[in-house]
Amino acid sequence: MLDFMDYVQNAFAISTGWNPDNSYAALTITANNLLDFYLPRGLGLRVAALSSPNFATSYTLGSAGVVDGSLSFLYSSLGLRVVGKSSDVNLRQLVRGYRHLQQLKAPPESIEPLSDMEGSEGRVWKKDTLLYGRLHLPASTLEALYLRRLTPTRLLRINCVSDATLPNSGTVLALLQNDYGKYSTEYLYSTDSSLLGFRALYNFGYDPRYPVEQQNISYRTPRHPWDHQNGRLSAGAEVYFSPVNKSGGMSTGLRFTTLPIHSGFPYTMTLTLNPLMGNLSSSYAIKAGPNLALCSRFDFNVYSYESDVVLGLELWRQRSTPTDVLWAKALIRPDWPPVRPNEGDTTAVLKARMSDKGKVGALWECRVKDLLVSVGASLDLKKRERVLGSIGLEVSYST
Amino acid sequence: MAFHFNWSPLIADTDRVRQMLTSSLNKSPKPPIIVDDILVNELNLGRTPPSLEILEVGDLAEDRFRGIFKVRYEGDAYLTLKTRVQANPLNTFLSTKPTFASPNPLAAGSGLTIPLQITLSDIRLSGFVILVFSKQKGITLVFRNDPLESLKVSSTFDSIPFVRDYLQKTIEGQLRVLFMEDLPAIIHRLSLRVFDSEGRSIGPSGDREKTDDFLAASDIPSPTTHDPSAPSTMDDGSSAEPVFPFDIPTEMYATFSQKNLLRLATLSESQRTLSLFTPPIRDAVFRARACAAERDELNEDHATPLQRPTTLSALQSTLGISTISGLSSASSFASEAPSYLSRPSITSLPSVSTTYSLGSGSRRSHPTRKRKNRVVNLRRHRDGATDGASDGVSISSGYEDSVSRSESASAYGSTAPVSAEDSTVPTSAPATSVHPKEREGEVDTPHVSPKKKRDLERAHSTLDRVISSADGPAALRPSTPQYLTNPQMLDEDDTPRASIYVTAERNKPDRVPAATTPSEAARLSPLPRSASELSISDLVSAFPMHGSSSGGILEQAWMMKMANEIAKRVAEEKHRHGAKWQQPDASGHGDAPPAYVS
Repeated sequence: MLDFMDYVQNAFAISTGWNPDNSYAALTITANNLLDFYLPRGLGLRVAALSSPNFATSYTLGSAGVVDGSLSFLYSSLGLRVVGKSSDVNLRQLVRGYRHLQQLKAPPESIEPLSDMEGSEGRVWKKDTLLYGRLHLPASTLEALYLRRLTPTRLLRINCVSDATLPNSGTVLALLQNDYGKYSTEYLYSTDSSLLGFRALYNFGYDPRYPVEQQNISYRTPRHPWDHQNGRLSAGAEVYFSPVNKSGGMSTGLRFTTLPIHSGFPYTMTLTLNPLMGNLSSSYAIKAGPNLALCSRFDFNVYSYESDVVLGLELWRQRSTPTDVLWAKALIRPDWPPVRPNEGDTTAVLKARMSDKGKVGALWECRVKDLLVSVGASLDLKKRERVLGSIGLEVSYST
Repeated sequence: MAFHFNWSPLIADTDRVRQMLTSSLNKSPKPPIIVDDILVNELNLGRTPPSLEILEVGDLAEDRFRGIFKVRYEGDAYLTLKTRVQANPLNTFLSTKPTFASPNPLAAGSGLTIPLQITLSDIRLSGFVILVFSKQKGITLVFRNDPLESLKVSSTFDSIPFVRDYLQKTIEGQLRVLFMEDLPAIIHRLSLRVFDSEGRSIGPSGDREKTDDFLAASDIPSPTTHDPSAPSTMDDGSSAEPVFPFDIPTEMYATFSQKNLLRLATLSESQRTLSLFTPPIRDAVFRARACAAERDELNEDHATPLQRPTTLSALQSTLGISTISGLSSASSFASEAPSYLSRPSITSLPSVSTTYSLGSGSRRSHPTRKRKNRVVNLRRHRDGATDGASDGVSISSGYEDSVSRSESASAYGSTAPVSAEDSTVPTSAPATSVHPKEREGEVDTPHVSPKKKRDLERAHSTLDRVISSADGPAALRPSTPQYLTNPQMLDEDDTPRASIYVTAERNKPDRVPAATTPSEAARLSPLPRSASELSISDLVSAFPMHGSSSGGILEQAWMMKMANEIAKRVAEEKHRHGAKWQQPDASGHGDAPPAYVS
């Protein structure tokens, strides 16, 4: 389950027209959501409030061994109109599962010049800013985030952590993201050992910058063999280098995912390769139904022959349609199609994963009255004497 | 001086060393680059032994040793370690960073663990080692400096300079920790295991035999009439008594070991029997005189107290035993003459022994006897409260001695130097035998000093009280109940007692028949059980005459012992009759020994 502050930050990105999925860092987001989900440990209590559209606060209290907590505050220059109440919030937005990518949208500036935006949408483009801070207690770790939409295609993100245990008692990460629709680039710099990084993602096929093709998108002929009309093929790479350590790293990746116009069930395939370390990772995720998604991932290292297979699933539980009126409908209007349940009308979700090393994780998240409850447990089947690894319960409430 | 090592048997048994190295290498938190346990794969000590040079030997005895060595090693030993390391520097980078500011790479941080084999060779050591060995505490080996001079680390990653340098640095750091912290701990644990199994086999009886052997072998000047078998007869006579009077203090002083208790028991036993054997007790200072006030009075009142120095010097070791106790007398002596403790050379001995002989040669007076009784009373611990009270009293008396000694000793030495020297001659031998123990205790038991200091402070606090009380002898007199007990003993067996007193009074220089008395007295000691309080109190008036007339140390010791005995019986009787009797030590005169007020 997303933290309330992450939920608000996500809402900020969407409100400012930013597409967080069009990034190399989000290439395997579906597999990560289905296989690497967060399991609560110990007891946790989260209280959050979006007291005004611009201001949010959150308090957490946890007891995983020791009692700790955090206070966080968030300010957004853009009024966020999102559902904050835990009784009304859409569980699908709070719990990340299979990520069904939408057709790419053209960045605003490529459609219209910036000066014309005012007239067309009645809204002046503002350099919206988000400030966020969190103080962890009793560790006295301070986290700060600065988000700024520099231009419609550019986002600056600065993460800071202040902690006495860190070298130089803190670290700053600056990330500049450019999203041009067809491709996106990211530049990052971390003060910690002066790490420099570059990430890029390129989407083959449809180019949202030429809206002429958009009108007859379903009728156009493929321009090259990998120009799928029902799906999207993306390729990306990342490079890191630290001049202090004289070390670095890189990886490349491919992804094919189906788009909403695809008639069959949606699926996503990714393949990432770390040529320096010889690491290959492939994942395959399908959304077998409106309430079920399955995923598998296979990791292999060509140098050390280490391998790992992880399987995962997520299962949503819909609010059942009222059965007491079904007989009436069957009598009066038998020709009516059965009502498709609304996707937002979910009450609970079950996530599970299992690796070939015998590690099992299960997470159950549901809404109990006005509270959001998340129960998780991790098991290690290989350890006979201690199968149950950890167990946790988190309760969230937000208004 | 250098050592010749027989190196070949050491090479054979490296399995245990390998196991210990493995556990010690995995104990400390490993750097994030090492993702698996470190296994010691191969250990070869090589063919070249290290060179060891003795720089200083601080202490040398059969069961202990302390010295400083210079160690130098330039041999061909090598060590092979196996572990798994994370080869991706980005992975280790990410694992140490907070997730909030992590760059979150997609796959660039994926791990690659590689089995790594590290060979440590060309080890060059050069350092100063302090080695302290004692049978009780095992072997303590400490490097005074960082012994690691250089080391060659060859690994699978020699072709990558960054990894090689990192490994070299990390391993050197770990090895330094190993030498400075882990190796002393390992050796200490190992030696403790070895000596513990040895020490367990020596039971109390074995220890007794050992001390007896030691007694026979020792060249302590003993009186001609001294019978080495006295301890056994004593034990037979007083079978009703607990064998170890220090059983109760063990609860209080939990640090007392079984061996020390045995020694203290032997000590008290030999004191009772006039045995001159002084068991070696660490952290203890042997004092010849029971208290100081007697000597003050001796110097002031009695002009010629030097008539019997030779006999007294022979007896002094016994008397010293009577005053010694690891608990309070040592501390009192520390307050008396700190220079004696801090300066362990033999040159300081004559003066010390002189004071000993002076004290022992003094004629007893009433306050003296009373104070001495307090010291003796130390060994009779009933409960924690009385212990503390008696401790304080005995310390204060000792301290008072130091105050008075500063002026009196010099004055006395000028008046009668010849006799003082005479007395020193026989005493020096037992004093020297005690000496090394004190040194050793000073060297390797630093935990004793705080207690001493505390006692010293307590002595200071009680000093004023005692001095003020000592001003009026009349105030002190009521609190000397041993007067009750001894005359009663005289009543029981007047013949031997009278003879002793006569000889002690008339012929002070040679008190030969004195040695026979304790055994007899011990044989008769169960008798006073029947004694009633009335009979004792009736005899109070009779005793002071005896006390003033006799004044011998031997009588003192004997009387104290008997007084102890009788008081114990009386206390037992009291307990038997009920709890209506109050504990007298807490109320009334606070410095009175609890046992004798009845």
